[in-house]
Amino acid sequence: MTLAPILTAAAPFALALAIGAAVLAATGHEPFSVYRLMVEEAFGGERRLAATLTAATPLLLTGLAAAVAFRAGVFNVGVEGCFYLGGLVAAVVGYQFGDWPAALLIPAGLMLALAVGAAWMALPGALRVRLGVDEVVTTLMLNFIAIGLTSWLVNGPLLARGSANSATPPIAASAELARLLPPTSLNAGFLISLALVIAYGFWGRLTVGGFRSRLVGLNARFSGAVGLAPGRVVFGAMIVSGAIGGLAGGIHALGLVHRFVAGFSPGYGFTGIAIALLARNSALGVALAAVLFGALTSAGANIQLFSDVPIEIVQILQGAVMIFAVAQFGLRRRSAA
Amino acid sequence: MKVRLGARGLTRRFGPVVANDHIDFAAAPATIHAIVGGNGAGKSTLMRILQGVDRPDEGDVILEDQAVRLSGPADAYRRGVGLVHQEFMLAPPLTLLENLILAREPMSRGLIDRRAALRAAQALAASAGVSLDWGLRVADAPVHVRQILEILRLIYRGADVLILDEPTAVLAPAQISELLALMRKLKSEGRTLLFVSHKLEEVLNIADAITVMRAGRVVMSTTPSQTSAEALAQAMVGEPVEMPVITARAPRGGVPILSARGLVGRDAQGGERLGPVDFEVFPGEIVGVAGVGGNGQEELVACAAGIAAPAGGSLVFAGAEMGGAPTAAFRAAGIGYVSADRAEEGLCQNASLSDNFLAGREADFARGGVLRRGVIAARARQALAALNVRYGRLSDSAATLSGGNQQRLVFARELDRAPKLLVASQPTRGVDIAGSAFIHKELAAFRDRGGAVLLISESLDEVLALSDRVLAIYNGRFAGQLPRGAATVETIGRLMLGRKAA
Repeated sequence: MTLAPILTAAAPFALALAIGAAVLAATGHEPFSVYRLMVEEAFGGERRLAATLTAATPLLLTGLAAAVAFRAGVFNVGVEGCFYLGGLVAAVVGYQFGDWPAALLIPAGLMLALAVGAAWMALPGALRVRLGVDEVVTTLMLNFIAIGLTSWLVNGPLLARGSANSATPPIAASAELARLLPPTSLNAGFLISLALVIAYGFWGRLTVGGFRSRLVGLNARFSGAVGLAPGRVVFGAMIVSGAIGGLAGGIHALGLVHRFVAGFSPGYGFTGIAIALLARNSALGVALAAVLFGALTSAGANIQLFSDVPIEIVQILQGAVMIFAVAQFGLRRRSAA
Repeated sequence: MKVRLGARGLTRRFGPVVANDHIDFAAAPATIHAIVGGNGAGKSTLMRILQGVDRPDEGDVILEDQAVRLSGPADAYRRGVGLVHQEFMLAPPLTLLENLILAREPMSRGLIDRRAALRAAQALAASAGVSLDWGLRVADAPVHVRQILEILRLIYRGADVLILDEPTAVLAPAQISELLALMRKLKSEGRTLLFVSHKLEEVLNIADAITVMRAGRVVMSTTPSQTSAEALAQAMVGEPVEMPVITARAPRGGVPILSARGLVGRDAQGGERLGPVDFEVFPGEIVGVAGVGGNGQEELVACAAGIAAPAGGSLVFAGAEMGGAPTAAFRAAGIGYVSADRAEEGLCQNASLSDNFLAGREADFARGGVLRRGVIAARARQALAALNVRYGRLSDSAATLSGGNQQRLVFARELDRAPKLLVASQPTRGVDIAGSAFIHKELAAFRDRGGAVLLISESLDEVLALSDRVLAIYNGRFAGQLPRGAATVETIGRLMLGRKAA
């Protein structure tokens, strides 16, 4: 009884591994030894584990941001844009007010990142609730604006003096999030992210707000008829989703990158969508899927060093997982209808 | 050929549930064969199998004396079997003619030959003994016209076996007789009709043979001359069930709990469908609104239950103006709502029973924003028991309940809030006789406790059985008002069609 949902949740991964194995075999590699190498590189030893968790940190939050929106029935794909804006804002705070004490500077940077992400989703949220404009279109388009806007800012007004890269100056040391396992780059951002995912799990199961958002996501018309305000719930979900996306960017800037650069995210926001779909919006699922995707990323970087397997195999695996996750989501929706 | 359409030992299981258990029936060519049964009797499963949508685990579908294995609905079509769905499968923005020829358009030089289409349509209508305005858009066509169109479309496509699933559920008395006449005409032309219904009078009136189903089995095979409505009803429910006799109560007067003045309602497209209307509902009174579907009932319900804001006029409940207030304010003030659309609006099918019970009151069952699961479960159990809901566990989804039990769950939620007014729209639609009797008793008991009920039903029998006062609605206005004693099928039936009471 309890095994079935786990099996269905794992199905996209299993299928992706099968496709990856086929690609590996076709290119003259031995799939099982490559996979074994990947598992070792992702989880073998403290440092490798730390690298995996570091890679999982932004995914925990982007997956969470997507899950918060999806459970209320809004398909927010704009977390990527919030991630860029949150990262930029936190980095600017981190170098502009470098003389502030860390206890003030870090919360200020993260809170501002959170606020800008929330504000960025206000427009698509309002358009969806007031005018019924499809949030997929608006949030997707806003991603391009956010990425273009931040890229222009770090190429112009905010470009570090004397820097050839499109990047802001580095943040002050007092703005950096504490490292948990020096010399690895695992930092306090991981703990914040994990804590938020756990909090989401409790909120979703136990609280009035969690109940309302789930009910609105399941059936908005019914929810309206029993007196919930579906519009308000949906708008709130968009704002919170954006806030978490912004915070994810802020943590990424202050915890790992220590500045903002053009191309700040390799698609964390989009991977977050796949994570939320795989997890079916559950907190435990988000945590597991984020760590798995983190493992793929950190292992991928290493297997290229130690074998002749190209790093593209990791992208094939990630892409395949996403396709199967979305396909499964579509199947579920069809069988529910 | 002895059997045009039938089943032999047909069995279909869903997990532990046997939806169809060795079903046998045989419809002779050029006859009307009725299939009757309550909710959960397995009629829908049987129809799906006969139409090729679902496949039996054992046994066979019989077509023209041969056991056949249908590969799908298209296969059933090719063999001349067509189904008229309860929900019409029509394209509302297109005209009647366009809907008729859809996917089978007569072509000439690569273009649709509209003249040939119209000729074919008119010939078809003439042979069926009906006349239709073929240029009318389906969206503007009354419901019985849509139904006739569905039937003609099947014939246009060459069906000579027509399965009609509860075809009279949405029709007014005069329209029902029109439909029955059409059915007789089709039979006289050699077509075979399978008539699925739980309206026993109609079945006795028109069928040549009757198969009664209960709990997945055939419990009776008979003909109208050999049986009676009472015997059929007893076979359907297994034990004698009498609809409760609800006595009408004299008007109490006093202060109305709900009072509407110049109320105007719009549909989702912004069209004015209701009003302006004036009406009152007093405490301890059931006011029944009788009418053919689509005459403004939906808008009336939406305004009274606070689902949609009225487009004009005033709506006063318990002394406070409610027009434009959010749904939550209506519910907080003491208005309960039983939706006609149980599947989508009355319940959340994929949420648990306890979630469905809790919905809308979660804040009352929480401390510091945290839900009190124990209190909720206890209260839900108690409310579900009070309404005789038969269920497995509170964590089961609402979709696992049968139609009648689903509606009891809706009543359990709404009555547990102790409303002052219950807006009940089609409260027994799709509910079997035993379930309907129970719901009628609950509504009467609620009234006797001093509650007010605004009952909207397309079933005239239901309105007449329950209401203390009957309002007939036609074209968005109230065509007349009668106390129960003066209301009959004939008087209200005339008002419902916009004619003056005789």
